[in-house]
Amino acid sequence: MTTPARAPAAGRTPETKVLSANFGVPGSWTLPVVRPRGAYQALEKALKTLTPAQVTAEVKTSRLRGRGGAGFPAGVKWGFVPTSSPKTKYVVCNADESEPGTFKDRYLMELDPHLVLEGCLLAAYAVGASVIYIYVRGEYPLSIARLEGAMAEARAAGLLGAKILGSSFSCEAWVHPGAGAYICGEETGMLESLEGKRGHPRIKPPFPAVEGAFASPTLINNVETLAHVPWIVIHGGAAFAKQGIPPDPANPRAVGSSGTKLMGVSGPVRTPGVWEFEFGITLRELVYGYGGGPLPGRTLKAVIPGGLSMPVLTDAELDVKMGFDELAKVGSGLGTACAIVMDDTCDMVKACINIAHFFADESCGQCTPCREGCHWMEKIFKRIDAGQGTPADLDLLASLFGNIEGRTICALADAAVWPLRSILKKFRPEFEARLARPVAVVGAL
Amino acid sequence: MNTPLPPAAPPAAAAPARTNTISVDGQVVAFTPGQTVIQAAHAVGIDVPHYCYHPGLSIAGNCRICMVELEGSGKPQVSCKLPCAEGQKIRTQSPLALEARAGVMEMLLVNHPLDCPICDQAGECHLQEYSFAFGQGASRASTEKTHLPKNVPFGAKVVYDAERCIKCTLCVRFVDEITQTHELAMGGRSDHEIVIMTGKGEFTTPYAMNIIDLCPVGALTSRDFRFKSRLWFMDFTPTLCTGCARGCNVTLGARTGTLMRLEPRFNADVNRWWMCDPGRLGYGHVNSSTRLAAPRLKQKDGTWADVTVEAALTAAGALLREARMSGGGGDVLCDGNLGLEELLLAKDLAAALKGQARFAAAVGTDGDALLIVNEKGANAKGAEALGLARQSAPAPAVVLLVEEDANVGKALRDGSGAKLVFASDAAHVPASAEVVFPLPTFAEKDAWLVNVDGRVQALCASPQAGPQGLSSAVELLDELLTELASPAAGRTLADARAALRALPALAALTWTAVEAPASAEVSA
Repeated sequence: MTTPARAPAAGRTPETKVLSANFGVPGSWTLPVVRPRGAYQALEKALKTLTPAQVTAEVKTSRLRGRGGAGFPAGVKWGFVPTSSPKTKYVVCNADESEPGTFKDRYLMELDPHLVLEGCLLAAYAVGASVIYIYVRGEYPLSIARLEGAMAEARAAGLLGAKILGSSFSCEAWVHPGAGAYICGEETGMLESLEGKRGHPRIKPPFPAVEGAFASPTLINNVETLAHVPWIVIHGGAAFAKQGIPPDPANPRAVGSSGTKLMGVSGPVRTPGVWEFEFGITLRELVYGYGGGPLPGRTLKAVIPGGLSMPVLTDAELDVKMGFDELAKVGSGLGTACAIVMDDTCDMVKACINIAHFFADESCGQCTPCREGCHWMEKIFKRIDAGQGTPADLDLLASLFGNIEGRTICALADAAVWPLRSILKKFRPEFEARLARPVAVVGAL
Repeated sequence: MNTPLPPAAPPAAAAPARTNTISVDGQVVAFTPGQTVIQAAHAVGIDVPHYCYHPGLSIAGNCRICMVELEGSGKPQVSCKLPCAEGQKIRTQSPLALEARAGVMEMLLVNHPLDCPICDQAGECHLQEYSFAFGQGASRASTEKTHLPKNVPFGAKVVYDAERCIKCTLCVRFVDEITQTHELAMGGRSDHEIVIMTGKGEFTTPYAMNIIDLCPVGALTSRDFRFKSRLWFMDFTPTLCTGCARGCNVTLGARTGTLMRLEPRFNADVNRWWMCDPGRLGYGHVNSSTRLAAPRLKQKDGTWADVTVEAALTAAGALLREARMSGGGGDVLCDGNLGLEELLLAKDLAAALKGQARFAAAVGTDGDALLIVNEKGANAKGAEALGLARQSAPAPAVVLLVEEDANVGKALRDGSGAKLVFASDAAHVPASAEVVFPLPTFAEKDAWLVNVDGRVQALCASPQAGPQGLSSAVELLDELLTELASPAAGRTLADARAALRALPALAALTWTAVEAPASAEVSA
């Protein structure tokens, strides 16, 4: 793979390479290359000078928020793990990166697997876990190979296994390849899959921190979240918290977006890719400045800021900063921070068919509203596309959104509703223009 | 609802004392820590609709019909999985709760075939019931339905229709958790998810048919019962299974002289919600085409003639007096399925004949840890308590009472040389018989049985099953005691029951089940 390193054009916010510092270095996935560049120094520092509680405290201080999409404060999550539990504790690294348009974790696993492993080990040390599972999307064979290679190197170097670096800390790690289900990226669906069962999400509570893998305390974090931890341990949580967007003192719920973030752009743009920035650049700069903007002769129509599961923004809304609270404020969300761009050639009805089909196909089938509702929405969009829709169909869709969102075990159904509802709201004339002449569609039961 | 009532809330002490109560629709409801909201609500009789929840299985929370409003939470919550917490305010009838419920009902029917007119579940289908209660009356789903496999055999006894299935996973959880045989699993995903059979396409458990009762819709139907009768033409009687000595509580469904089906009836102390397949299907002798419907006398030429009860009693009286005069002692051999009342009078009859009453009952080898026991005499324990000896080898007897083939087998019947025979079926009458009375089966009589644990339970006669108008064995035996001028003569069923209650030999049995039969049937 070639790295996306490009010289920033004049006037562009420069990249801040923390996670991506080793990207582009030949052989960056091997221990002999990265060890002299600082790999495992944080682990050594933690094992020799910090207690597990101190590591957790640093992560809390850093205000690091989860990079998987939900943005939950990582240190708080670590604090939920009952370290006094006599059971075996687990760290599960969520590397089932199956969100459409998202490929940031893949870069980390392929180009710096030791950074990911070191982050996992630090988390395991902090919460008292003795086993690490990295649950990798099955369609990422190179990630799997590089992670397994890194684990073998680390084991041979005394960085993984019994009495790591001569300390009393012992921890094992395994790569667990998924089998290609989107739902196994949902943390409890992933745990079920890890245990050898169908990837059916669990009802919470109990939360995984208390009862996760094999009914034992389990810390689950995204790849990118864990990859931040070595830097935090070396430089301190306060240094991390200084980067990015500070909390809004006027709004206690806006806890800020600290640190750097891998951000990506895909779709019909000139230069799709992944870059790393301090939080604070705008979505417009990401899409136009780094993504290169629409292809020649096209205009930008809509952008989903992160993955597929967030409400769309129009060109006029792109000046929002890429941050958890900032995007929430405009009715969307940061998600995975990997933007999907749609240009003027994109038929929004067909886009909705595509989105609804994805979620209908990936619905695990467990609970009623998602199992039946996602495919129903797809069928209605298809009918509209075929010119057979009626105004009642648009009302029906609006009603179905309400009957699906918030009514299910996990957030997959919410993730289906959010982009669809926003597209229908912001591009309604496109749908209305496709409707057939109104006819009664209500029949007897 | 079966869950035992939680203990009363402790008296309020200091101000912050926990009361372990929640509020459901304004009503204070006590809970035991660990209970979920639906359990606490059901325990006090507040109905919360549910498909995938079952008190005997783990909680899946997938059907979403039990959603209620929890004050302070913006989203409706599934009450089956929501742990009770001090002071929670739950609303089961608020606009949010009702809207959520109606939304789920609509989703459940989007791809449902709505084939109630040809569905066996019609009349006891929760989809129908909840549609009526919470549904929208008109369908907004005018798109083509998703089509799935139909008429799929799940082994020889169960048929699966994936289009009717609401994927509640009750059947899967049953074979995972209760029988632990794992023959079923969910396969596929999205609205193509279906129940699939693992392994070799047949259940290894003898309890598979419970999944038919568990199924809240018409997705799992019984090969034995399907298409035989609409439920509203049937008559239902709470009674017992007599397939073995467990005494599983059942509901017997019958129609115009035919026993149509047996289904388990909840009893926390005996069979909980379940029964075995052999017991469920072991009613063939009730519907036998050779059932005896009238007394018979053997003619001089060896043929049989149907006679009145009075004529048969006269002949039987003469026969018994002759046997007593001969001084050989007249023994009575009883089927181990006979009720305590019948056995009591049979014992008195034997005494009047200067003989002994004995019983015979089959012993199987299929006993297991769940319900099935090796003892097949449904009242063997009762017979023993009454002092009847168990007979396993052929021995002479004057009187033979035989309900079905299994307990008093052909060797014992033929070996008895009995001249007076009470039999439910002509096929069970030995060649030695001269007078034959038809014997009601378990489906046609009121009787007390003692199960393997010493629990006295009541059989109840179905008004629809079997030949109509049969005299009870208690009546006939009492008439015979009169014929023999026995001092024990002159008792009705009620007299016999009073006598049984007074017997010191039976005092150690558990009588509570007879006092309070028929625990309220639990909706599955």
